[in-house]
Amino acid sequence: MRAGDQAAYAVLVARYRARLGRYAVHMLGDRDDAEEALQDAFVRAYRSISRCHDDARFGAWLFGILVNRCRTAGRRTARRQRMFVRDDVSLARATAAEAPESPDWDVTVRRALDRLAPALREAFLLKHVEELEYDEMAKLTGAKVSALKMRVMRAREQLRALLSEVERV
Amino acid sequence: MTTVHRVASLALAATLLVTGVARAQDPRLLHRLDSTTLAAVGALLDSARTAELPVEPLVQRALEGAAKHAEPDRIVAAVRRLAGELGVARDALGRESSPAELDAGASALRAAVRPEDLTLLRQRRTQSLTVALAALTDLVVGGVPPDSAAAAVLALAARARDDQIADFRRAVERDIALGATPAAAAAVRVDATLHEVTNAAANPNTPRKP
Amino acid sequence: MFEHDDDALNRMIDRLREPVEMDPRLDARVMARVASRGFRARAALVWEWLRRPRAVAISPIAGLGLAAAAALLVWALPAHSPQTVTPPAADVTPVQFVVVAPGAESVSLVGDFNDWDARLTPMRADRDGRLWTVTIPLPAGRHRYAFLVNGARWLADPSAPRAPDDFGTPSSVVTVGG
Repeated sequence: MRAGDQAAYAVLVARYRARLGRYAVHMLGDRDDAEEALQDAFVRAYRSISRCHDDARFGAWLFGILVNRCRTAGRRTARRQRMFVRDDVSLARATAAEAPESPDWDVTVRRALDRLAPALREAFLLKHVEELEYDEMAKLTGAKVSALKMRVMRAREQLRALLSEVERV
Repeated sequence: MTTVHRVASLALAATLLVTGVARAQDPRLLHRLDSTTLAAVGALLDSARTAELPVEPLVQRALEGAAKHAEPDRIVAAVRRLAGELGVARDALGRESSPAELDAGASALRAAVRPEDLTLLRQRRTQSLTVALAALTDLVVGGVPPDSAAAAVLALAARARDDQIADFRRAVERDIALGATPAAAAAVRVDATLHEVTNAAANPNTPRKP
Repeated sequence: MFEHDDDALNRMIDRLREPVEMDPRLDARVMARVASRGFRARAALVWEWLRRPRAVAISPIAGLGLAAAAALLVWALPAHSPQTVTPPAADVTPVQFVVVAPGAESVSLVGDFNDWDARLTPMRADRDGRLWTVTIPLPAGRHRYAFLVNGARWLADPSAPRAPDDFGTPSSVVTVGG
């Protein structure tokens, strides 16, 4: 039965890896950091699974653990300037004026996200990329719905400004 | 079965014999459908037999309706619809198609896959189409637009094994569940599967996934 | 090119929503940590938790949890997933069906392989009466089926593709390759 338990959990890990990975990568801006946060979240979830009170919301509960891991990891790397590097797009190629569909668009997107304060970035990603409702976000982050709405609004304003800066060059 | 029921069944069977409708009647239907529905479904089965279409899927559709206590009109409509789809599937896939292929083809048509794509699939794939057609249908049901789903399965048709196509479909469904747009998920997974198929062909001793 | 502010923002959001491939070796790293000494005592707890029935989910994430929990029950059991099974040389393939139906008095597997007759394939409950299973041999092809709970309530299989609805009740599909 023990081999079966772990095999069952391995299936869950495989299933959630991509979806949770997406949030971690965008939140932390670094794939290694994201993988570490993801690993930590899965291991912690396994350890404390009996504390998941609402059985139907395992995914949300696991996501909450990941959001916390990302906050911890973010604080650790706050001093380091990291760019999200995709495939063979090098930093030297990163220029200001980029068309939306080119590989340099990824760099623009990454830079814009990096310029947001972590709390704004977190709220923006949860709302617009993970498409959560505000009350779900409140449960995950511990913040009030009103505060989250404010953060999302400010994130959108700042991103709009950053993206049009890019295009004006 | 009560005596009354038995007598009623005999009377029904006798009536149907007289009217000639019972000639090809499946005994499983006799006790599950009322006489009117039985007559209507029976006529559809006879037409299907005449057209040399598989009758078993039609019988099963009627039995499903009976089990679910559906309205007689609905049962007849469902059987008629399936009979039509089997006919179009047979035109698209060819008269040599197996009943399983036709059934799977009918499901694909029901999911808005074009008959032309079924014909293309038949041209590109030498082995049985049942699994490929089922994967195509399940992709569309899962949200992949019919054109994208057909393009994906056609790309795999010539070289992928049935189990590889099945794995591909499962992988796409997982990606969709995890937030990918369906068309993008299909496109990404097709590339990955083709890569795997090519590698397997180049390295025939690589063990298959369990 | 000068673009409307929201267009760029929406394109950014679309780009961010695309799936991100994570290294599958991460799974092994997680499981290596999980399998280490400190976690063995938890294993039975995890299995028990994973098997618990789930209420119907509403949010996308909760829906993932429900589907994943149901699906992994199928995968974790020592038989084929009922989704698509490629058969050996024989004409039929054993396929295992699993459904979580706590508190049910009876559950039947009903489909076009048993003439939609609820009497023919009763499912067996586990000790706690939550997990119902049956294994049946199926020929090649696509099969429609559903679970009938207490002779009255139709349940589709949460881990299988849906069949198109002809009669107002849910059904599922399993494909056996051939």
